[in-house]
Amino acid sequence: MAQAHRTPQPRAAPSQPRAFKLVLLGSGSVGKSSLALRYVKNDFKSILPTVGCAFFTKVVDVGATSLKLEIWDTAGQEKYHSVCHLYFRGANAALLVYDITRKDSFLKAQQWLKDLEKELHPGEVLVMLVGNKTDLSEEREVTFQEGKEFADSQRLLFMETSAKLNQQVREVFNSVAQELLQRDDGEGQAPRGDAAVALNEGPARQAKCCAH
Amino acid sequence: FSFSGKMSLKSERRGIHVDQSDLLCKKGCGYYGNPAWQGFCSKCWREEYHKARQKQIQEDWELAERLQREEEEAFASSQSSQGAQSLTFSKFEEKKTNEKTRKVTTVKKFFSASSRVGSKKEIQEAKAPSPSINRQTSIETDRVSKEFIEFLKTFHKTGQEIYKQTKLFLEGMHYKRDLSIEEQSECAQDFYHNVAERMQTRGKVPPERVEKIMDQIEKYIMTRLYKHVFCPETTDDEKKDLAIQKRIRALRWVTPQMLCVPVNEDIPEVSDMVVKAITDIIEMDSKRVPRDKLACITKCSKHIFNAIKITKNEPASADDFLPTLIYIVLKGNPPRLQSNIQYITRFCNPSRLMTGEDGYYFTNLCCAVAFIEKLDAQSLNLSQEDFDRYMSGQTSPRKQEAESWSPDACLGVKQMYKNLDLLSQLNERQERIMSEAKKLEKDLIDWTDGIAREVQDIVEKYPLEIKPPNQPLAAIDSENIENDKLPPPLQPQVYAG
Repeated sequence: MAQAHRTPQPRAAPSQPRAFKLVLLGSGSVGKSSLALRYVKNDFKSILPTVGCAFFTKVVDVGATSLKLEIWDTAGQEKYHSVCHLYFRGANAALLVYDITRKDSFLKAQQWLKDLEKELHPGEVLVMLVGNKTDLSEEREVTFQEGKEFADSQRLLFMETSAKLNQQVREVFNSVAQELLQRDDGEGQAPRGDAAVALNEGPARQAKCCAH
Repeated sequence: FSFSGKMSLKSERRGIHVDQSDLLCKKGCGYYGNPAWQGFCSKCWREEYHKARQKQIQEDWELAERLQREEEEAFASSQSSQGAQSLTFSKFEEKKTNEKTRKVTTVKKFFSASSRVGSKKEIQEAKAPSPSINRQTSIETDRVSKEFIEFLKTFHKTGQEIYKQTKLFLEGMHYKRDLSIEEQSECAQDFYHNVAERMQTRGKVPPERVEKIMDQIEKYIMTRLYKHVFCPETTDDEKKDLAIQKRIRALRWVTPQMLCVPVNEDIPEVSDMVVKAITDIIEMDSKRVPRDKLACITKCSKHIFNAIKITKNEPASADDFLPTLIYIVLKGNPPRLQSNIQYITRFCNPSRLMTGEDGYYFTNLCCAVAFIEKLDAQSLNLSQEDFDRYMSGQTSPRKQEAESWSPDACLGVKQMYKNLDLLSQLNERQERIMSEAKKLEKDLIDWTDGIAREVQDIVEKYPLEIKPPNQPLAAIDSENIENDKLPPPLQPQVYAG
């Protein structure tokens, strides 16, 4: 309960599912928004945004427990890259999305990872690499193997998807949700004092980094 | 003053005869009264109004106290620990009395007043004749306090506990005024954290209610602290405000095209949305509570999403949203932008800032401001020379367009110029039609003449000769030469009978 209020990691109340913040990162037009929209749309339980497709919330059931995913879409254009670190604050998970038909977007995803690591402590955020647009596999420039190898070397989760054909989209978000819950439970078992110290560092730093 | 007095004054004033005495202040001070002040002169009205307001507040307080006392008694009788309870309660009472005497002004006054918690009436009378300079602020602060107490009443014992903690915090903050703003922010954040935790662990308040209570606490404490912690002199917030304001002013030549903004302002509905979004983001500065400021940003964002949706006919993604928000900030140049962002960051309930929709839009605003600060030629797809020229104000990219009017003209003027443009175009077309019509008319005449001439020529060439027929048509029997040889037709014979 102590850390619940000060961090985005929400309080563990049985009546309310825990909320986790997930940011979507990647170059322009790799399909970040489509991925989120596809995921949120295909579920009758989620409330569809009426006007914008940039912020979604969705309750995911993982086994007996459920959690609330808050999906933050980010502007992928190159020119906004320098300010996007502001989105990372308080994130619990990040999806690094690239387009398998564009090598540059894959390299860009690696750049995003470096930025993430600069802003957040290692292990603070769960990262998943996602190769999108498998429906265009004949134009593929990044092989599955390349993606997998990079993900393994950085200890990231990895999946290839097609937002257009709705392939593997659910799986991406579900496995992130599962991993988040596992990590969270693991933390809960850790000695209370240690957890509180580690978590208290977060907000203080966050409060200051907005003072650009 | 009484309600009936107001009525009679009104009806009399409607008549033709107005008694001189009716025009004078009802209090008889010799000055003229005014119906807007219910027949008092401005000075007496202020006094009367103040008295009435104080009375109202006092009544509310008495009610609050009575209810809380009843609550307390009920609680004390149920619990055996009566002594300890009444002690904490008397403390609570005292603080509340202090609160009542604290008349907007400063917390300092509040503390000096606490030593003489005597008759409430005495205190009130002593204060009534001195209308405060910050009456507006005081009314709002009082209103918020009243609402806060009303709200807490619904939570009984927990509400009382919360009130106690809140008062303690506000007292503490008074002494921390000399600390750096970061330390004060830290205190506020700790307070939010502790109150929420206590509510959950001790008060056993369900989480969704905790959130509601936290919102009210934030509203209450920040309405009070605002004056001292918004853009404090100890920081360079004001300098930053001026810097970003100047920067935005220098960037006023930036067009939506340069930012790739997917919004077409020629559509009236869209330009409406853009105006609304700008109004919302400017309104942020007028709010005192961080959460209300966040609500302005969210409202602005919703209007932006609508503008994009109308233009593109599909819901906007983050790729569309951020550039448009940047454009809105550039166009609106919201007052004290940095101060507001800093204030929200320092004093907003952190759970609202890091997650949730409000948090998302706030983060986008931070991104937009950071982008504007860093913006260069490359981010607008311009050459460095062009960028420098525009920044120095030597030329403006808009001048290259055919627009003859000022780019900063208001919407109405812009529309007027557009209409004038349209009219002159229509005029041109009208003239063209007229000349075409004349040409057509001439063509038709020429054509008729030509045909007539040709016919004449042909007639002359082949003159019409009508020869008399060789034989009269009637002589069908002409070839019958034997005609004469035929017997004469029978003659009728007359028989006499």
